Amino acid sequence: MSTVITDKLTGKTSAGDVTITSEGGSATMQLQQGVAKGWVNFNGSGTIAARDSFNHSSLTDSGVGNYKTTHANNFSSANYTFACQGGNPSDDGTRIPTRMRDDPTTSTYGNQQFTTTAAANQDCTQVAFTFFGDLA
Amino acid sequence: MAGKIIADTIETGAGADISTSYVVNGSAKAWVHFDGTGTVATRDSFNMSSVTDRATGAYTTSATNAMASADYAWTSNASNQGAAYGAYCVEGDATGTKNFNGRTSSNVRLNTGGYTAWDDALSISSVYHGDLA
Repeated sequence: MSTVITDKLTGKTSAGDVTITSEGGSATMQLQQGVAKGWVNFNGSGTIAARDSFNHSSLTDSGVGNYKTTHANNFSSANYTFACQGGNPSDDGTRIPTRMRDDPTTSTYGNQQFTTTAAANQDCTQVAFTFFGDLA
Repeated sequence: MAGKIIADTIETGAGADISTSYVVNGSAKAWVHFDGTGTVATRDSFNMSSVTDRATGAYTTSATNAMASADYAWTSNASNQGAAYGAYCVEGDATGTKNFNGRTSSNVRLNTGGYTAWDDALSISSVYHGDLA
Protein backbone atom coordinates (compact mmCIF):
# COMPACT_ATOMS: atom_id res chain seq x y z
CA MET A 1 0.00 0.00 0.00
CA SER A 2 1.28 3.45 -0.86
CA THR A 3 0.44 6.87 0.53
CA VAL A 4 0.86 10.29 -0.99
CA ILE A 5 1.30 13.00 1.66
CA THR A 6 0.43 16.38 0.31
CA ASP A 7 -1.67 19.45 0.99
CA LYS A 8 -2.39 20.15 -2.64
CA LEU A 9 -2.91 18.34 -5.92
CA THR A 10 -2.04 20.34 -9.03
CA GLY A 11 -1.99 19.09 -12.60
CA LYS A 12 1.46 19.00 -14.18
CA THR A 13 0.45 19.70 -17.77
CA SER A 14 -2.45 21.94 -16.80
CA ALA A 15 -2.74 23.14 -13.21
CA GLY A 16 -6.52 22.67 -13.07
CA ASP A 17 -6.57 19.18 -14.60
CA VAL A 18 -5.74 16.09 -12.54
CA THR A 19 -6.85 12.86 -14.21
CA ILE A 20 -8.04 9.77 -12.34
CA THR A 21 -8.58 6.29 -13.74
CA SER A 22 -12.03 4.73 -13.53
CA GLU A 23 -12.83 1.80 -11.26
CA GLY A 24 -13.13 -0.42 -14.33
CA GLY A 25 -9.83 0.84 -15.65
CA SER A 26 -11.06 1.64 -19.14
CA ALA A 27 -11.85 5.32 -18.75
CA THR A 28 -10.28 8.39 -17.25
CA MET A 29 -11.93 11.50 -15.91
CA GLN A 30 -10.92 14.88 -14.63
CA LEU A 31 -10.80 14.82 -10.85
CA GLN A 32 -11.81 18.45 -10.43
CA GLN A 33 -14.97 18.08 -12.53
CA GLY A 34 -16.36 15.19 -10.54
CA VAL A 35 -15.79 16.57 -7.08
CA ALA A 36 -18.70 18.29 -5.38
CA LYS A 37 -17.79 21.95 -5.00
CA GLY A 38 -20.22 22.64 -2.21
CA TRP A 39 -22.88 21.02 -0.06
CA VAL A 40 -24.93 21.79 3.00
CA ASN A 41 -27.32 19.84 5.18
CA PHE A 42 -29.58 22.05 7.25
CA ASN A 43 -32.70 22.23 9.36
CA GLY A 44 -35.10 24.53 7.55
CA SER A 45 -37.68 24.62 10.30
CA GLY A 46 -37.75 27.33 12.96
CA THR A 47 -34.38 29.08 13.16
CA ILE A 48 -32.63 27.52 10.20
CA ALA A 49 -29.24 26.04 11.00
CA ALA A 50 -26.62 24.15 9.01
CA ARG A 51 -25.84 20.72 10.43
CA ASP A 52 -22.80 20.19 8.23
CA SER A 53 -21.43 21.83 5.12
CA PHE A 54 -18.57 22.30 2.71
CA ASN A 55 -17.68 25.53 0.89
CA HIS A 56 -20.71 27.16 2.43
CA SER A 57 -20.80 30.51 4.20
CA SER A 58 -24.38 31.26 5.19
CA LEU A 59 -28.07 30.41 4.94
CA THR A 60 -30.91 32.87 4.51
CA ASP A 61 -34.45 32.12 5.64
CA SER A 62 -36.50 33.92 2.98
CA GLY A 63 -39.89 32.84 4.29
CA VAL A 64 -41.84 29.68 4.83
CA GLY A 65 -40.15 26.85 2.91
CA ASN A 66 -37.92 29.34 1.13
CA TYR A 67 -34.14 29.23 1.50
CA LYS A 68 -31.02 30.78 0.00
CA THR A 69 -27.47 29.53 0.49
CA THR A 70 -24.28 31.53 -0.06
CA HIS A 71 -21.09 29.83 -1.23
CA ALA A 72 -17.78 30.55 0.49
CA ASN A 73 -15.83 30.33 -2.79
CA ASN A 74 -17.72 31.46 -5.87
CA PHE A 75 -18.38 29.50 -9.05
CA SER A 76 -16.96 30.70 -12.35
CA SER A 77 -20.43 31.07 -13.84
CA ALA A 78 -24.05 30.68 -12.77
CA ASN A 79 -24.50 27.55 -14.90
CA TYR A 80 -23.36 25.04 -12.28
CA THR A 81 -25.38 21.92 -11.52
CA PHE A 82 -27.30 21.59 -8.30
CA ALA A 83 -29.31 18.94 -6.59
CA CYS A 84 -31.58 19.69 -3.68
CA GLN A 85 -33.87 17.66 -1.55
CA GLY A 86 -36.21 18.57 1.25
CA GLY A 87 -38.53 16.66 3.43
CA ASN A 88 -40.20 16.18 6.75
CA PRO A 89 -39.73 12.62 7.93
CA SER A 90 -42.85 12.96 10.07
CA ASP A 91 -44.88 13.46 6.88
CA ASP A 92 -44.30 9.85 5.89
CA GLY A 93 -42.55 10.66 2.63
CA THR A 94 -44.99 13.16 1.23
CA ARG A 95 -43.86 14.44 -2.20
CA ILE A 96 -42.09 17.81 -1.92
CA PRO A 97 -42.00 19.68 -5.23
CA THR A 98 -39.57 22.59 -5.43
CA ARG A 99 -39.46 25.83 -7.32
CA MET A 100 -36.65 28.28 -7.86
CA ARG A 101 -37.70 31.85 -7.31
CA ASP A 102 -34.41 33.49 -8.34
CA ASP A 103 -31.74 32.48 -10.82
CA PRO A 104 -28.58 31.08 -9.24
CA THR A 105 -25.61 33.43 -9.14
CA THR A 106 -21.94 32.61 -8.87
CA SER A 107 -22.14 33.23 -5.13
CA THR A 108 -25.68 32.24 -4.12
CA TYR A 109 -28.28 29.59 -4.81
CA GLY A 110 -31.96 30.27 -4.16
CA ASN A 111 -34.43 31.36 -3.23
CA GLN A 112 -35.42 27.73 -3.47
CA GLN A 113 -38.93 27.01 -2.31
CA PHE A 114 -40.25 23.70 -1.06
CA THR A 115 -43.96 23.27 -1.58
CA THR A 116 -46.78 20.92 -0.87
CA THR A 117 -48.61 19.25 -3.72
CA ALA A 118 -51.25 21.92 -3.23
CA ALA A 119 -48.65 24.57 -4.09
CA ALA A 120 -48.29 26.04 -0.60
CA ASN A 121 -44.81 26.58 0.79
CA GLN A 122 -43.74 24.47 3.74
CA ASP A 123 -40.68 24.37 5.98
CA CYS A 124 -38.63 21.19 5.91
CA THR A 125 -36.59 19.79 8.76
CA GLN A 126 -34.26 17.94 6.41
CA VAL A 127 -32.84 19.96 3.52
CA ALA A 128 -29.73 19.23 1.46
CA PHE A 129 -28.13 21.14 -1.40
CA THR A 130 -25.21 19.83 -3.47
CA PHE A 131 -23.34 21.72 -6.18
CA PHE A 132 -21.13 20.63 -9.07
CA GLY A 133 -19.36 22.82 -11.58
CA ASP A 134 -16.32 25.01 -12.05
CA LEU A 135 -15.11 27.22 -9.24
CA ALA A 136 -13.77 30.63 -10.14
CA MET B 1 5.08 14.04 -20.39
CA ALA B 2 2.31 14.21 -17.84
CA GLY B 3 3.14 13.08 -14.31
CA LYS B 4 1.40 10.07 -12.79
CA ILE B 5 0.98 9.03 -9.16
CA ILE B 6 -0.24 5.57 -8.22
CA ALA B 7 -1.33 5.57 -4.58
CA ASP B 8 -3.86 4.04 -2.22
CA THR B 9 -4.02 6.98 0.19
CA ILE B 10 -3.70 10.74 -0.02
CA GLU B 11 -2.57 12.45 3.18
CA THR B 12 -2.34 16.11 4.05
CA GLY B 13 0.66 17.62 5.77
CA ALA B 14 -1.47 17.86 8.91
CA GLY B 15 -1.84 14.10 8.96
CA ALA B 16 -5.45 13.85 7.83
CA ASP B 17 -5.71 11.14 5.24
CA ILE B 18 -8.29 9.77 2.88
CA SER B 19 -8.22 6.60 0.86
CA THR B 20 -8.06 7.25 -2.83
CA SER B 21 -11.09 4.94 -3.09
CA TYR B 22 -13.12 7.77 -1.53
CA VAL B 23 -11.81 10.18 -4.11
CA VAL B 24 -12.53 7.85 -7.01
CA ASN B 25 -15.82 6.43 -5.70
CA GLY B 26 -17.03 9.67 -4.18
CA SER B 27 -16.58 11.79 -7.27
CA ALA B 28 -19.58 12.36 -9.47
CA LYS B 29 -19.02 10.55 -12.74
CA ALA B 30 -21.42 12.67 -14.76
CA TRP B 31 -23.67 15.67 -14.24
CA VAL B 32 -25.75 18.05 -16.31
CA HIS B 33 -27.79 21.19 -15.72
CA PHE B 34 -30.27 21.97 -18.48
CA ASP B 35 -33.30 24.04 -19.45
CA GLY B 36 -36.13 21.60 -20.20
CA THR B 37 -38.52 24.11 -21.74
CA GLY B 38 -38.86 24.66 -25.48
CA THR B 39 -35.78 23.38 -27.25
CA VAL B 40 -33.84 21.62 -24.51
CA ALA B 41 -30.55 23.41 -23.86
CA THR B 42 -27.66 22.23 -21.69
CA ARG B 43 -26.26 24.98 -19.49
CA ASP B 44 -23.26 23.05 -18.20
CA SER B 45 -22.27 19.40 -17.98
CA PHE B 46 -19.55 16.87 -17.33
CA ASN B 47 -19.30 13.49 -19.08
CA MET B 48 -22.74 13.95 -20.65
CA SER B 49 -23.17 13.52 -24.38
CA SER B 50 -26.79 14.59 -24.79
CA VAL B 51 -30.15 15.39 -23.28
CA THR B 52 -33.11 14.14 -25.31
CA ASP B 53 -36.55 15.72 -25.07
CA ARG B 54 -38.95 12.75 -25.29
CA ALA B 55 -42.22 14.49 -24.46
CA THR B 56 -43.64 17.10 -22.12
CA GLY B 57 -41.75 16.70 -18.86
CA ALA B 58 -39.87 13.66 -20.18
CA TYR B 59 -36.14 13.61 -20.88
CA THR B 60 -33.25 11.20 -21.28
CA THR B 61 -29.76 12.10 -20.11
CA SER B 62 -26.91 10.16 -21.74
CA ALA B 63 -23.41 9.79 -20.36
CA THR B 64 -20.41 9.97 -22.71
CA ASN B 65 -18.38 7.34 -20.85
CA ALA B 66 -20.73 4.63 -19.62
CA MET B 67 -21.03 3.40 -16.08
CA ALA B 68 -20.01 -0.18 -15.25
CA SER B 69 -23.62 -1.24 -14.73
CA ALA B 70 -27.10 0.24 -14.44
CA ASP B 71 -26.94 0.16 -10.65
CA TYR B 72 -25.34 3.56 -10.08
CA ALA B 73 -26.86 6.19 -7.81
CA TRP B 74 -28.78 8.95 -9.51
CA THR B 75 -29.94 12.23 -7.99
CA SER B 76 -31.88 14.99 -9.62
CA ASN B 77 -33.70 18.22 -9.12
CA ALA B 78 -36.23 20.21 -11.09
CA SER B 79 -37.35 23.78 -10.55
CA ASN B 80 -39.74 26.10 -12.29
CA GLN B 81 -38.74 29.63 -11.58
CA GLY B 82 -41.71 31.94 -11.38
CA ALA B 83 -44.27 29.18 -11.72
CA ALA B 84 -47.23 29.09 -9.40
CA TYR B 85 -46.22 25.67 -8.20
CA GLY B 86 -43.10 23.66 -7.51
CA ALA B 87 -41.72 20.89 -9.68
CA TYR B 88 -40.46 17.45 -8.92
CA CYS B 89 -38.23 15.06 -10.81
CA VAL B 90 -38.53 11.28 -10.78
CA GLU B 91 -37.10 8.41 -12.72
CA GLY B 92 -39.58 7.40 -15.37
CA ASP B 93 -40.02 5.28 -18.44
CA ALA B 94 -40.60 6.03 -22.08
CA THR B 95 -44.29 6.62 -21.65
CA GLY B 96 -43.85 9.24 -18.97
CA THR B 97 -45.16 7.28 -16.04
CA LYS B 98 -43.38 7.27 -12.72
CA ASN B 99 -42.44 3.61 -12.88
CA PHE B 100 -38.77 2.76 -12.90
CA ASN B 101 -37.98 1.20 -16.22
CA GLY B 102 -35.10 1.03 -18.60
CA ARG B 103 -32.15 2.70 -16.91
CA THR B 104 -28.98 1.72 -18.76
CA SER B 105 -25.30 2.13 -18.01
CA SER B 106 -25.45 5.44 -19.89
CA ASN B 107 -29.02 6.66 -19.90
CA VAL B 108 -31.53 7.80 -17.30
CA ARG B 109 -35.09 8.56 -18.29
CA LEU B 110 -36.45 11.25 -16.04
CA ASN B 111 -39.80 12.93 -15.73
CA THR B 112 -40.64 16.33 -14.29
CA GLY B 113 -43.98 17.68 -13.28
CA GLY B 114 -46.02 20.11 -11.26
CA TYR B 115 -48.45 19.08 -8.62
CA THR B 116 -51.13 17.97 -11.08
CA ALA B 117 -49.44 16.81 -14.29
CA TRP B 118 -46.19 16.21 -16.10
CA ASP B 119 -44.68 19.49 -17.13
CA ASP B 120 -41.44 20.88 -18.56
CA ALA B 121 -39.11 22.51 -16.04
CA LEU B 122 -36.74 25.46 -16.41
CA SER B 123 -33.87 24.11 -14.35
CA ILE B 124 -33.16 20.38 -14.23
CA SER B 125 -30.08 18.73 -12.81
CA SER B 126 -29.05 15.09 -13.07
CA VAL B 127 -26.02 13.61 -11.27
CA TYR B 128 -24.54 10.09 -11.54
CA HIS B 129 -22.45 8.47 -8.79
CA GLY B 130 -20.98 4.99 -9.12
CA ASP B 131 -18.36 3.05 -11.02
CA LEU B 132 -17.36 3.93 -14.54
CA ALA B 133 -16.83 1.03 -16.92
